[in-house]
Amino acid sequence: MIADRKPSRAGKIARRTFLVAAGIVGGGLLVGAGAIAVRLRSVDSYKLPASEGEASFGAWLKFAKDGMVEVVVPHQEMGQGIYALATLLAAEGLRLAPEAIRAAPAPIHARYANPVMLLDGLPIDGAHVGQLQRATLWTFEKILRALGLQGTGGSTSTRNIAGPIRAAAASALDLLTRAAAERFNTQADKLKIVGGTIVAPDGRSATYGELATEAAKLVPRDITVPPLAVGEYVGKGAPRFDVPPKVHGVARFGIDTREQGQLYAAIRHSPRIGGALARASLPANVTGVHGLVDGGNYLAVVADSFALAAAALEKADIVWDEAKGLKLSTKDVFASYRAALDKGADYRPRWVIDAAGDIGNASGRRVKATYEAPFLAHATMEPMNATALVTETRAKVWAGHQSASLVQLLAAGAAGLSSDAVEVFTPYLGGGFGRRADLGYIVKAVEIARKFRGTPVQTIWSRAEDIRDDVYRPGAMADVEATLDANGQPTSFVYRIAVPSVTDQFVARALPSAKGGLLADRSTVDGALFPFYGLPNRSIENLTVDTGVPVGFWRSVGYSLNCFFVESFIDELAAAAGAKPLDYRAGLLAAAGEYEPAKRAAVVLEHMGRHDLADPLAPATGAAKVGRGFALTECFHSFVGQIADVEISGGDIRVRRVHAVIDCGFAIDPPNVVAQVRSAINFGLSAALFGKIEFDQGRVVQSNFDSYPVLTLDNAPDITVEIINSGAEIGGIGEIGTPGIAPAIANAIFAATSKRLRSLPFALENA
Amino acid sequence: MSVEFTLNGHPASMATPPETPLLWALRDEKNLVGVKFGCGAGLCGACTVIVDGQQTRSCLTRLADVAGKTVQTIEGLSGDVAKAVTDAWIKAQAPQCGYCQPGFVMAATAVISADPKQSRDQALSQLTNICRCGSYDAIRLAVGYALDSLNGRIATQSKGSAR
Repeated sequence: MIADRKPSRAGKIARRTFLVAAGIVGGGLLVGAGAIAVRLRSVDSYKLPASEGEASFGAWLKFAKDGMVEVVVPHQEMGQGIYALATLLAAEGLRLAPEAIRAAPAPIHARYANPVMLLDGLPIDGAHVGQLQRATLWTFEKILRALGLQGTGGSTSTRNIAGPIRAAAASALDLLTRAAAERFNTQADKLKIVGGTIVAPDGRSATYGELATEAAKLVPRDITVPPLAVGEYVGKGAPRFDVPPKVHGVARFGIDTREQGQLYAAIRHSPRIGGALARASLPANVTGVHGLVDGGNYLAVVADSFALAAAALEKADIVWDEAKGLKLSTKDVFASYRAALDKGADYRPRWVIDAAGDIGNASGRRVKATYEAPFLAHATMEPMNATALVTETRAKVWAGHQSASLVQLLAAGAAGLSSDAVEVFTPYLGGGFGRRADLGYIVKAVEIARKFRGTPVQTIWSRAEDIRDDVYRPGAMADVEATLDANGQPTSFVYRIAVPSVTDQFVARALPSAKGGLLADRSTVDGALFPFYGLPNRSIENLTVDTGVPVGFWRSVGYSLNCFFVESFIDELAAAAGAKPLDYRAGLLAAAGEYEPAKRAAVVLEHMGRHDLADPLAPATGAAKVGRGFALTECFHSFVGQIADVEISGGDIRVRRVHAVIDCGFAIDPPNVVAQVRSAINFGLSAALFGKIEFDQGRVVQSNFDSYPVLTLDNAPDITVEIINSGAEIGGIGEIGTPGIAPAIANAIFAATSKRLRSLPFALENA
Repeated sequence: MSVEFTLNGHPASMATPPETPLLWALRDEKNLVGVKFGCGAGLCGACTVIVDGQQTRSCLTRLADVAGKTVQTIEGLSGDVAKAVTDAWIKAQAPQCGYCQPGFVMAATAVISADPKQSRDQALSQLTNICRCGSYDAIRLAVGYALDSLNGRIATQSKGSAR
């Protein structure tokens, strides 16, 4: 994202520089999907450590002893396919088969920082980047790289590493070729490359492995990295190497950690959020128990096996001090939101995050609606767990997580050690969805293990504990108001959401010394700010209302709220204007003029229209009612159109099928893009149809998949995905399907029944 | 007092207390960690094993309940149906995070073994497992592939259903 101030050098790599990722914050900063930004100044000082017989090619690639090429990935594999993507890019760049590449976790080092994730949080419109914004981004990136925070989230993994890995592979191939040219005393352009072997005109040849040591000693030079385009694997995909072990049950997750002499802990938290443990004891007849740990707000029982620990915990006599905890119920939270919205512009803290034109003088027909969305749990399939070993001088942590550097920092704090004394081992994650970015579970596991110095202890959350000790997708309420002129075009648009700041809470939990609440939390209005529709007179505002309920990053974060509210409201405006939903949106996009996001959204909308004509809504059977709904969203720099067909029988809502059109710039691994979009849509669908976490006087009501149901095979719709390779900068993939499904269904229900559902999860009286 | 049964084709004797959930007995005493813990309440199916041919939620089954029975875990899966199912799962590239997949593979193997001639929809209606990644389109595809290959039909990749 560092702008190249000398455009003529774009696409080149400065000497020894494996540079900055392509495609990030600003449309104005970079030059399209393939072009690679150039970091002119810095030299890559970091090289992967190589042992005897290995050859390191810098920060990203290493030739291993067994002949495999290792590409390191500073992101965790949690189902999104980032390990497969790294493999595919390295294979393409090195002209090898993906089977010759092995992806491995990157070391914890500032070199692998993920500034993209955090830069996305700045309230800057990427399509309108002026001098000031450019300077801000540049400064922030500097700071973030220096901080060195590694992380997986915000749909940034590909955006963060695709550029560097492509550059590293191209550079390594250049070095190998030069080494071969030297060895065979010929010119590099006379050599042929066939399946990992470099062949000289006279027939002599050497494999990459044979050349690696010589090649790694050469000084990298400026080379050109070709733009992203469909190649042997890029743009086509390849079978994921993590699939067979996952199918055969041999892939290892955090919970599968088995260390010599390991003990197991079962954990229970105060039923009331914020309550404390007063006292606890075990009856005399429990077996296999090594001890109790009073964690302040939790109790852990440590035993020889998890079954024994869990059984003992069931029998424990526990007294909680609930005087300190939260006492509010769900209705109180929403009453706070209502009160804030009623104060409106007088409420503090109020952040006007995006404002344009003049909302004061608008006249015309007034349309106003209030929307609500509930708190949601993550409910990853693998419940929270972590294994830790703490000695006087060292600590080891084995766990699925979304930030190795934060695990190291927080585990060090909990173990009373310095960060460099902590080793982090990361197996596969049994789901992340943002839950495993919030590392309280690791801190607790380390605290517990610290009481058993020298012995590894694995702490496992029961499903009820997993759901009740979550950091929830915040519940929210929004007032949206517009005025329409005689043609139904908006002359003003005021969007006001009452919601807590996930970022502030996260910072307070992860870095207690940092001060939150100083900057606007853009994520609170993601999906509403910088609209691609022409809304020239607008005010997009957040009223920060924190009632003390712990909130965290949940797949697509603020987009999951705001896209539902905005795209439902746009449909309401269309109805008020007497226009068809797609036509009305096309008009609003045209009104945006020469605005890049509007143009991309318009192409997606055009494809939606084509699908609508080619594949019309199937008629209802019997007494059921059917409807088709549309939603158009932007999420993490990708554009998504969704068409949902629903069938309503009585109060029952069935989603028959969903068609999604996406523009993520360029799909490097299309089969995985399809899988991720389907995944995210199903995730959003679980929430839209069933998802609700409630509080009863500070206690979480839901506890397992019976009270917190999620989608299963019988209610999961067939989902088709259409990919547009627009050539724009690469956008996110892992979360982008989630925000649009709820509004698409709400709009479909309206089409079927003329009933407008403004609250999630959807509940329909007999239609 | 130990519990005797057949585990993955071999006689097994387990010393874990008999009231222990089979899930934890298998994971902790036998180190069969392909059997996954998901909910502890028989709701998600991540812990599915096959007991005397039936898909069984091992979190709700006590170790004592399998005395004298035949238990199969993902680690001991074998036979034509199992091969067809796992091959189909790989062909469909079904897993994402992968945590629920062994349970799904076990359930599908039991269901298809019971009647390899059944329709895809019949088989799917007996799969009540949860995949939080929502890999359901791919799982439908995989079950179809498995039935097709067992019945000598050539499995074809349907349009728009890659993975």
